[in-house]
Amino acid sequence: MWDSAGADNKYRSDFVKIILEARDVRYHYPGSPEVIKGISFHIRPREKIALVGPNGAGKSTLLQMFNGMIHPTSGTILFDNEPVRYDSSSLRQLRKRVGFVLQNSDRQIIAPTVYQDVAFGPANLGYDEQAIRQSVALALRQVGLEGFERRVPHHLSGGEKKRVAIAGVLAMDPDVLVFDEPTSGLDPSGSEDLMELLDELNNDGKTLIISTHDVELAYPWADRAILLLDGRILEEDVPDVAFGNLDHVRMAHLSVPTLLELSQELGRRGFAQPERKPRSVLDMIHIIENHIHGSCGNPSPGTITVCNVDEWDTAMLPAWVDARPDIVIGAMGTRAKQCAAREHLALEFTYGVIDKCILRALRGQDSLILTVGSMVGRVGVRVEAYCRESGNTITIINLNTTNQPPVTRLINEEVKQTDPSSR
Amino acid sequence: MIEINLDSVAQQSTFRHIHPVTKLILALGSLILCLISPSPVVPLISGIVLSLVLIIPGRTSPRLYGELLLGPAIFTVMSIVVLLFLLGGGDVIWRFNPVSWINLTITTGSISQSTLVLFRVFGCSISLFFIALTTPMTDLFNGMKRIGIPIEIIDLMMIIYRYIFIIYAQAIEIWQAQVMRLGYSRVREAIQSFSMLCGMLFISSWIAGEDLVRAMDCRCYNGVFPTLDIAEPMQMRSLLPVIAYLTGLCGILLVLTTNIGVIL
Repeated sequence: MWDSAGADNKYRSDFVKIILEARDVRYHYPGSPEVIKGISFHIRPREKIALVGPNGAGKSTLLQMFNGMIHPTSGTILFDNEPVRYDSSSLRQLRKRVGFVLQNSDRQIIAPTVYQDVAFGPANLGYDEQAIRQSVALALRQVGLEGFERRVPHHLSGGEKKRVAIAGVLAMDPDVLVFDEPTSGLDPSGSEDLMELLDELNNDGKTLIISTHDVELAYPWADRAILLLDGRILEEDVPDVAFGNLDHVRMAHLSVPTLLELSQELGRRGFAQPERKPRSVLDMIHIIENHIHGSCGNPSPGTITVCNVDEWDTAMLPAWVDARPDIVIGAMGTRAKQCAAREHLALEFTYGVIDKCILRALRGQDSLILTVGSMVGRVGVRVEAYCRESGNTITIINLNTTNQPPVTRLINEEVKQTDPSSR
Repeated sequence: MIEINLDSVAQQSTFRHIHPVTKLILALGSLILCLISPSPVVPLISGIVLSLVLIIPGRTSPRLYGELLLGPAIFTVMSIVVLLFLLGGGDVIWRFNPVSWINLTITTGSISQSTLVLFRVFGCSISLFFIALTTPMTDLFNGMKRIGIPIEIIDLMMIIYRYIFIIYAQAIEIWQAQVMRLGYSRVREAIQSFSMLCGMLFISSWIAGEDLVRAMDCRCYNGVFPTLDIAEPMQMRSLLPVIAYLTGLCGILLVLTTNIGVIL
């Protein structure tokens, strides 16, 4: 029903490929010492990579090599297993497939209106007028800026400018998106919205690489973290391992993410820690409740209702919500948030929505997730994974197929057998 | 931080979504009629009507509009004083002859011609303000492309337009940083601070230029700068009143031309 198997297969097949690779890459600016001192790594399709390091570590320089803006002094960058060539036609091809979002949106937005800026890439790629209009409309829809076509950049907020910059890159339909400090200059809510957008893009199949020195942001988000220091890779691993090495974190002038630090401290105090370190509040609650109660189950957990706003008459939502006064609403995806605003629905969660709704369900409370077509499957996959790991059962109701709960019970058969107490 | 400027007002105007050609017909039509009118009546009517249109349905702040008009008003009044004494013809109304070689006179002819110039200047200024306050530059670029202005010039204008606001915002930031540290407290400091501001702006503009090239390269720049051609189609409900108004103004002009002696 959630079509997670197909997505998983694609995901697995993508994971054996390599889309971007660096082989002993070195670079120095003219007349300056080396800033990149022999870096090798690879990135697989659909991966979320965080390049983390202090200022001056070489993050931005390295990122600019991915789309050929900087030519390494020695070593090779490979895209799709082919060494990057630096003639103008090869660079055009590369830049179409590797989109780069600069740190300062004002430097990236070059045209006097939003439409012209987003149309810049497609127009230069030689698309015809109709194709340009279509790609601009799609890109603006993806970033939630429909209707902004005639707006001028200097009348936009920081978050909106960032979205225009992203739309300008998305309009070229790249496979890889590279972000230099994506949340710099944004307020916490704007940062959360942006990270949610990045998740949405990743869900649509894009490979994402971000540079940041915000470990709290990188830790729960990334599939892999690459710690850079002084032009070299200090550590490259899954975030809990990469950020778990205190010596390396200290050397890189970073800090250990709060959740990881808490987990380490609990471990030192004799609380057994699972092999997989907590990456969200949900994971941490699971660990703590397991210690206190032996399990973190609830005899009557709440439900999670999922509504795909692309396929449901959202005008019916306010009445549906009014009939359930205790329900809280979370929105995943830009269009879902726009829909909530349109229907005057107060959103409780806009980031980390699935985990927060699982936490509510564990307290016996119900929640509604508004989302978009491409992200519906993610709710099922995440809840299923949690249920499998924790032995809980959380009922997911799909509002698009019925209004009468329950429709689907996401429970692993093995869990059912081993944990008869679960519903 | 962009303070109130003409372009911001135009971006927020209620006439923003009317086709720019309709607005250009109204403004340029009024401007030409004001210029060719032999009587102050046409510029006066045109000025009053366009001002009312700008303030009432256009919701332009009357205060802002008044401040805008103040510029041409001061300039025109100063010119008119000179014209009053320069022009001649008709009966002498006032004479100023303090010494033998200074002979200043105001005649009926100079009054009527100065009045005509005064009203023409106002009528024409208001016509131009109508365009400036209702049609942002971004809408005009497209029109320029249609009338055959070379695309290279339009591309350059669009980039300059975009960067005016970035560089202006930087200038404000630098200026504020200087004021906070008493950079303009004395003349000597003010000169030093201002020259420093200009220098900093030059350097940051240079860097912005280099970044612009990089940003364009990142998006496969190949010599194409797209234009925004998504304005609403020209609508008869806005074009018809404009034509009716201009026809009326032409009618008044014709009547005045044939009975010019009576009016003057």
